Order: sequence, then structure tokens, then C-alpha cells
Amino acid sequence: MSEIDFILNGKEVRVNVDPISRLLDLLREELKLTGVKEGCGEGECGACSVLKDGEIVNSCMVPVGTVQGCEIVTPEGLKETDRGKCIIEAFADSGAVQCGFCTPGMMMAADALLHRHPQPSEAEVREGLSGNLCRCTGYDMIVRGVLLAAERGKGLW
Amino acid sequence: MPVRFSAGRAFRRIPPALGIKGAVCMKSTINTPVKRVDAAAKSSGEAKYLSDLDFPGLLYAKVLRSERARAKILDIAVPELPEGYYYIDKHDIPSEGANQVLMIKEDWPVFADGEVRYIGEAIALVVGPDRQKILDIIDAIQVSYEDLEPAFTMDEALALKGGPIHGEDNIFADYHLLKGDPDDAFSRAHRLVEDEIETGYQEHIYMEPQGVVGTIEEGKITFYASSQCPFYIRKAVAHALGKDLEDIRVKQTVTGGAFGGKEHFPDVMATPVAVALTKIGKPIQLVLDRIEDISYSPKRHPSVVRFKTALDAEGRIVAMDADVLINAGAYESCSLVVLQRAIFSSNSVYDIPNVRIRGRAVATNNVPSDAYRGFGAPQGLFAVELHMSHLADLLGVKADEFRSRYFTKTGGVTVTNGKIKEDVKLPEMLEKIKKASDYDRKLAEYTKGGLKGIGISIFNHGSGFTGNGEQAIIKGVVKMIGQSDGSVDLLVSNVEMGQGLQTTFRKIAAEVLEVDYESVRYNNPDTDLVPDSGPTCASRSIGVVGYLVQECSKKLKASWKPGERAEAVHQYAPPPGLEWDQESLQGDAYPSYGWGINVIEVEVDPVSYEVETKGIWSVFDVGKAIDDKIVEGQAHGGIIQGLGYASSEKLEAVNGRFMQRTMADYVIPTSMDFPSIDNQLVDNPYPYGPFGAKGAGELVFDGAAPAYADAVQHAVGKPVDRIPLSPEYLMEVMSK
Amino acid sequence: MVDGIRPKNLEEALRIRQESGAIPFAGGTDLMVRYKNWAGTLPQFPKSVLFLSHLEELKKIEVEAKRIRYGAGVSLTRIYEHPETPQILAQAVRGIAAPALRNAGTMAGNLVNASPAGDSICALYALDATVICRSLSGEREIPVIEFITAPGRTQLRDDEIVTAIDVPKLDWNISFYRKVGTRKANALSKLSFCGLAKTKGGRIDDIRIAVGAVAPTVVRSPELEKELSGLTASELEGRFETMMESYGAMIVPIDDQRSTAVYRKRVALNLLELFLGKELKKGV
Repeated sequence: MSEIDFILNGKEVRVNVDPISRLLDLLREELKLTGVKEGCGEGECGACSVLKDGEIVNSCMVPVGTVQGCEIVTPEGLKETDRGKCIIEAFADSGAVQCGFCTPGMMMAADALLHRHPQPSEAEVREGLSGNLCRCTGYDMIVRGVLLAAERGKGLW
Repeated sequence: MPVRFSAGRAFRRIPPALGIKGAVCMKSTINTPVKRVDAAAKSSGEAKYLSDLDFPGLLYAKVLRSERARAKILDIAVPELPEGYYYIDKHDIPSEGANQVLMIKEDWPVFADGEVRYIGEAIALVVGPDRQKILDIIDAIQVSYEDLEPAFTMDEALALKGGPIHGEDNIFADYHLLKGDPDDAFSRAHRLVEDEIETGYQEHIYMEPQGVVGTIEEGKITFYASSQCPFYIRKAVAHALGKDLEDIRVKQTVTGGAFGGKEHFPDVMATPVAVALTKIGKPIQLVLDRIEDISYSPKRHPSVVRFKTALDAEGRIVAMDADVLINAGAYESCSLVVLQRAIFSSNSVYDIPNVRIRGRAVATNNVPSDAYRGFGAPQGLFAVELHMSHLADLLGVKADEFRSRYFTKTGGVTVTNGKIKEDVKLPEMLEKIKKASDYDRKLAEYTKGGLKGIGISIFNHGSGFTGNGEQAIIKGVVKMIGQSDGSVDLLVSNVEMGQGLQTTFRKIAAEVLEVDYESVRYNNPDTDLVPDSGPTCASRSIGVVGYLVQECSKKLKASWKPGERAEAVHQYAPPPGLEWDQESLQGDAYPSYGWGINVIEVEVDPVSYEVETKGIWSVFDVGKAIDDKIVEGQAHGGIIQGLGYASSEKLEAVNGRFMQRTMADYVIPTSMDFPSIDNQLVDNPYPYGPFGAKGAGELVFDGAAPAYADAVQHAVGKPVDRIPLSPEYLMEVMSK
Repeated sequence: MVDGIRPKNLEEALRIRQESGAIPFAGGTDLMVRYKNWAGTLPQFPKSVLFLSHLEELKKIEVEAKRIRYGAGVSLTRIYEHPETPQILAQAVRGIAAPALRNAGTMAGNLVNASPAGDSICALYALDATVICRSLSGEREIPVIEFITAPGRTQLRDDEIVTAIDVPKLDWNISFYRKVGTRKANALSKLSFCGLAKTKGGRIDDIRIAVGAVAPTVVRSPELEKELSGLTASELEGRFETMMESYGAMIVPIDDQRSTAVYRKRVALNLLELFLGKELKKGV
């Protein structure tokens, strides 16, 4: 076990955990932040996406020992921001949500890709979401949701 | 004649005088999209799925699984367990209970009883607080087997390799349908065309893996489950434990996708946990790891359909013979009903005068096949659509023109000798889609084998349970309470699993009651609180239960006074004019149908044999959309799932083990695999659906695979006969 | 006991590596999959792991006159976004997995994992990259073509850490990359093909051909490339059949859950044919 300090959703936290344990388990089981989901546990589905120092990563692939000093944002953090609210609203208006299991991860991916491309093309949106699998929507309405968020949220990213 | 299914009453006849023509539909703008009630909570991560729930003192369970496809269990050596850990197997089933998972059949054991029939079959559960210790215990358990000779393929099983797995012939169900006089028609045929068409396994890949938690709440055995059918779980748990239904409570949790995969399998998950729970008395979670889920949960049935079609001198179809085989795996579960839908779908929208169909569900030593969106129809429809393409090609007739010659219409006769009651809008739909996709020009311009292709599929899907299932088995009941504050409680057992039911059911009730849809409460069902309106499957939630909601709302409206509380209950009654005989499978197999046409455009890379989809068009008749956007979302998702089935979703069972066991190797579409979809709906209100609505959830899946295959064979200029159309298979086709 | 060790700097990392043989852990995207365990349990690493991704010494991309040096901790995203990254390497790296994985994963990790299907490896073979392996006792520069010895095996010693990968800067006027994956994105490779050439005055001046996932290690033949060098278009045509045969003999793929040997071989040869027969002609 070791003490690890990092910034979680804007707040400094200190945890005492095994450094090889997964960030996903820390978030879900210790900190009860269940917005991150385990869909596959091998970095394929993106349901456990978080932002690490502003970039999207799969929290199932991240040992807690590697987040020392980093800034981590989970869906619980993003949803409180104007960017998060903008995406949530745009997803709802676009029909982007069905079963919802992939959606928090989609929101994280949307935020990350809008940082990179504040006015993205459809192709850029599709590439930005390509690590987040969805089995319900066929993706069209999620893509539209991201484009809508980009349009409404000018200046946020 | 070996028709084996005999559940339900033998015969049900309703006076045919009450035809549905002329019945009045409610007119409305209900289809105008609203914001889904569950969208924000799901996006933000606030929605609690099964494994997000917190239970104090939660124990974890892992299944000890068979490593053999067919074997006798000689001995199980369990090491001494540490304090607080449990090994649970068939010996722990209460004496008043039964080692059976009661689904449609009872053949699937809760725990293996002396023998195993497939790799992954549950032998025992190991339960305890620390998951690593559970893994260590499972590793240390030694199971000794005496191997028996397994039968993996349907051919092996039909040849009784290793002796029968089931009964005397390895056939779970064997059905025969006869329409017209095929013998006579075949004897007069000018030409016979034979075809053999295959479909593969498909894995659901609901994003949330299978999961249940069993616990004791207020002294009662209570399950939380990611599930489509809470009452199924209640029934299965009660049966395994030998308890009354009322002794068991099941609460559905927010369900992260299901697609049929959470129709029956949650019973297989919950029953062993229930046995453990009676012994341990503490909350127990069983959640499958993704690899476990792909490896051992049920799949879509692989199928082989052999056609023999008789043509007259003018190239007209005069008779069709279809032999349908589906690989059911080790236990029957619902395979008999899947087979019924497969054979009922195997003439699709075509009214062929003389037809003979045989269908068999075959027992093999593979993971059992079970419900998956479409429930047999995708296999039957794929086969007949591809066969129609082959016939059109052979006769040199355009694919759409050839098909339209045989379109059924009102009064048309089905393969079960029932009658089509509704207005069939296929000609209008065909015009719409041809215009949207520029079909005629592309069909003419893209020369066969020129690597560009455009394909079409035309299909329908019966809404609701097959035959008399709704009135004989389900007997769905809906209850509503109008509260004194003006809010409404809607009590049904159907679940939101992504398809939008929490929004659409509220809209139906609100529209009738003339209240805001957000003032209607509809919580995830809890079997102690809601009546049994039946399972969430078979495209029945809107078409059948939604109609009960509408009618119940009318009752409530009539008795509910402002500021007072009122209740209303409504039970299913079949629409008038339907006839069905379950013994002979004759009559109206479905009260109504959804109808669809898909067009897919592709381009094939001659270097890698990869297919790029260039365009996707769809037109659907779902009666009336309760919400345009929700139906559109269903259409998109169904089509892309169908295109995955047709293209990349290869799942090979080799010696009873799936080769693709991770999400890296079992390849579902990503956001970059397919272009956006151009979808249209036609209005065709059905009098016995809410505001005219029929089922949509499965229909939208059914047509993508055959349209894709039709497009690919146009592009490569050679017939294809199976899905998935992997580049590896296309290489073979193109090299011929 | 298996531990996750976070060294303060490269020096300390090398010392720990020498003392314990702990597994170097950069992005971890391969290691976390290989040693995946049940939710709520620890990954099943056989030894302690040595976290490296935070080390500043490994995070640099240094552009020099004749080469680009990619620190071992540089993410795949930064590699393909770097303007100086050779086009073929950028394409190969961009084709790996999806954004989240590319933000964590590293090229050094891809290389040390030494999967026959590793996408950057094929491009690094074609580019004649060099692997910098460092230990407390010094530094070794190993050509990538020698570094990987078999699937999953490399020349990396138990006391060494890959600190950087050097990619020579050369002008290629023909650069042809194809990944044939299991789907269009977020896909593992069935095979991949890298073709590079420099042509001058109607002749092939320099040429590289590398094919991934069709043999235990990447297929590349400096001998055959030498034979191709100096040829004109018409001379190339005369050698075409023997070239196809010679490469064909080296392409010995397997059947697995992603594809078949027959398909891999056929498509690899189709791509070679396309490269030699068509792409090259754009320059000669």
C-alpha cells in the first residue's frame, strides 16, 4: 500500500491503496464514483473513460500508482461544469442516450475531442468517439449530439 | 407428424366477423419527439446500474464452470475453505426445490448434476468477501471428468455422434408447415432452383454485462437484476427453491442494454445465487466479467436453410420448399419458440401459393443459443431474402421488381394459413426508398462485379408473442393509479433497457389523460409492486402492453376526479378476428406486423476484400411512432447491429469453445465503421396498438444483413450464401 | 510481493530495474490487458512493475539533423501529431486502437511487447529505427530489426530499460501504408504493409518493404530491397514475378481468431503487387 495524492474533480485527494490497483476500482469501489463503468476491463469499450491531465484515458488501464500528482476528472466532475452540462443537454436533445451504459464515457470522449477540435467535422467526431463502443444507437445521434454541443457551446472549449 | 410443442390451450377461435377494417384509430401528434426522461441521469453517470449499487456486507460469487463439452463428473475435490467462504452446488438445493432453471422448458439444470453438456456449464458457485481468494479457491478445486464424445455441429448431432444428447434424436423441436399443394406444384415445375444459406452465431454485447444481486430484505428473498423480465426471474427462483411466487421479490435495476440476452439468462444467473442465498443469508453479487460473458452466455442461433423452389416456364415461383435448421446448443431453453418464428418468417413478405416448410432445433454440445433481437426471424428472413436475390439474378430480373411480384397484401395468406389483416404499404415504401437512395440509377450503373453494389431487403416482423402466447400464457395486466395531486402511477412489469419505454409509456398515458408526461411515474418494475404485464421482449412492449396502457388510461380517465385518488386495471384480450391453433401451428401467427425496406450501398476493395458501406437507407411501417426520435434511434441501432451481424461479428465455435472471447476479438461496429442512416417512417395506424403503434424493436434489426449481402453480391458479381461476410470469405467468393 | 514502484528519475529507475528486474511499465496498455484479473482484484503481474510514464527524461521528442529521437514515455498521440514524424509512422501510430489508448500507450511499449501484429513495429522496421536500451552500465543502440527476436521476445536485458527510439530522417517521395484490421477503427491488425521508396531520374534510389503480422516477426529483406534499388520501371517489370515469389516465401502467416493464414498471405501479396506494380510507378 502507498499514499497517493492527486486532484480528483478539482479537489486534492489522498488515498492509501496498492499502487497496482486499477483507477477504475478505486473510483467505483472506494470512492463510490460509479459514473465510470466497467464494460470490458481491457481498454476496448471506453465505458470507464476519465480525463487524465485533460486527455481521455481508460481507467481500467491505469494503475493508481501512475496518477500521483495528476488531475483526474470523472463524469461526476465533468457534469458540474458548463461543458459537461452543455454535452448532457445536447445528448438529450439529439436522442444520443439509450441504455446509457456507454454514455458517461461518451460524454468524456466528447469533451476530450471538443478540446482538440472545438468546431469538429463529422469525421473528427467519429474518430474522437471511436474508442467508445455503443451497442444501442448506431452512433448517429451521439455524433449529432457532439456536433450540437460544439455549436451551442462556442467558447467553452 | 412430429409436432412436439403442446403448451397452452389446444385451440382458440375468435369470431372472424370482427375484422379490423374500419376500426377507428386515435389520431394524435403523439409522435412529436420529447426529451427522454432518463437521458440526463444516464449521461451524467448518476443512474445506478446493478454493479453500482451498494450493499453492506456484500459477498461475491464466481461460477465454477465445466472445462469439458461433454463428460461425466467423477469427482470434485474442494479444498478446505477459509472462514466466510462457501462452495455451493446441487447438494445445496433445498429438498422442496428442483435442480432446474424453469424457463419455457426445465431441461437446463441450476448446477450440473453428474454430467456436463457444454464448456462453461455451471458446476458450482464459490462465494465469499474477497475476490482474489475466490479465484484462488476456484483454481484449487479439482474436477475429475470422464470424457464422452461430443457432437458440435448440427450434422454431427443429427448423426447422433457420441449418442443422443437430448431424447433419441437430438431434436428439440420438429415442425412442419404446409400451404397450398406443393407436391402437385413441384411435380409440374418447369425448373427447380436449390439454395443453401447459412448464418452464424451472434453475441449481444449489451454494454452492461450480466449481473444479479440476491439478498434478504424484510425476511424476503429479493433479487436485483439487470433484466428484461423480472417475473421470469421470480418464477425460476421460486421453482428452484420450491417456494411460492409470492415468497420471492425481484427488482429490475437500470439495465445497460439487453437485446434478448437478458430475457432468460438472468434466470440462469439468479437461480444458483438463490440457492447460495438460502444457505448464507447475506447479499451476494454475481456479475460476469466480459470474457466470461462472451464465452458462456447464450448467443443467436446459427442456422442453415435449404430451399428448393419450383419455377414455371415464365419464371414465376409456383412452389417453395424450405428446410430450416437452427443450432440450439446444449439445452433447449426457448429454442422451440425461436424456431417457430424462424419458420414463420421464412417466406417473409411474399405470398407464395404452395409452400412446404420443415424446421428443426438441434441439440449440440455448445453454449446454449437463446433469445436475441429478432428471435429467429433474422435467420428466416436473411435466408429467404438472399434466395429471392439469387432467383432474381438467375432470371435476369431486377431485385426489387422480382420481389414486388410476390408482395402479400390485405387478405394475403401466410405460411401458417393465416390472413394478413392490415393494409400493406410495401409498394409505397418501395417507391420512397428507391427515390431516397437513387436505387434504379445505381442498380443500372453499377455493373455486376464492378466492385460497387446496391442491395435491397424487404421484410416484416410480427409484433408480440407467437400464436396465442399473449392470451394463453402471458395474460398481461396493467394497473394505474391517479393520485390526488394529479400525478399518475403506471404499474407495469415491462422494463426500460435502452429502447425508451420509460418515455414512450409515459407519453401514451399522458396523451390519453391529457396530463404532462413528466407527471406520470413509472419506476423500474418491482414484482411486489406491479402486476405482471409480461416480459419485455418480442416487440410486444409498445404494440401489446402499450395498448393496455392506453386502454387502462381511458378507464382511469373515466373514473378519476380532480383532487381524488382512483385506480384502474386492464387485462389483455386478443384483437377480434384472429384464429390460431397451437397444436398444428395454423392460423394467424401474429396479430399485426411491422414492415420494412432497407437499401445498402457498398464498395468492395479488390486488394483486401474489405467492404466499405457507402450508404444506408431505410423505410419502416411501425403503425405510428409513439416518438419519432425514439423510433429513429431504434432504427439506427438496429440497422448497425444488423450490419455487424452481416459483416464483422464473426463468432466461431471450435470444439465447443468460442474463438473470439474478448471485445477486441469479437468485433462490433465502432463510430467509424458505417456512415449515417437515412431513415423514413410511414404512417399506417393499427387499431389495436396505442395510437396506432405496432412493434419496432426487432423489425429494425431484421433487414440490414440481407440488404448488405445483396449489395455485396452485386458488387462482386457472384452469389454469396452466408454471413458474416468476412473479407476471408469474400476472398474465396471473388477467387471462384 | 508484487509492487508498483514509482522511481523519482531515470537513474533510480535503472537502479531498481537492475536490483529487482521489475517490469518496465510505460503506458501499460499491453501489460494491463495481459495481466487482467477480475474487477476489484489486482492485475496478476508476475513481478513488480516499474512505472515510467511520469519520468521527464523519457518524455521528449528531439529532432536532430539526421534523426528524430522519441523518448520511451512519449504517448502515441504525441508521436503522430508531431509535424516531423515520418508520414508512414504517423499513419501506423494513428491506426493503433483509439484516442484513449493512444493517449496512454507508447511506441516503446508497442515495441517491447513485440507482438507480430504491433502496428508501429512494422513502420519502425521499414524506417530502420534504432532502439536505445539503457542500464546502469551504459547504453546500447540496437537496430529494431535485430531487437525483436521472436513473438513477445526482444534483446532487452533484465537490467535495461528502453529509453528512446531513433528514427532516421530520410526523404521518401513514395510512402504507402495499409493496415488491414478487424474493423475500421479500434482494431487489431490482421496484417499491415509499409512500402517506402525514394526515386530519382526514373530509377529506384532506395526502397523499403515491411509486412507485419504475416510471420513470427516483421517481414523485411534488405537483400531483396538491394536488388530492387537502381531499377527503372521497365526493369522492375522484368523482376516482378521473382520478387513476388521471393517475398511469398517469407510470408508465412498463421490462422487465429482474427483471420486466416490463406487470407493474410493473399492480401499481403496483393498489397505488394499494388506497391510494386502501381504505387512505385508514381515515381519511376
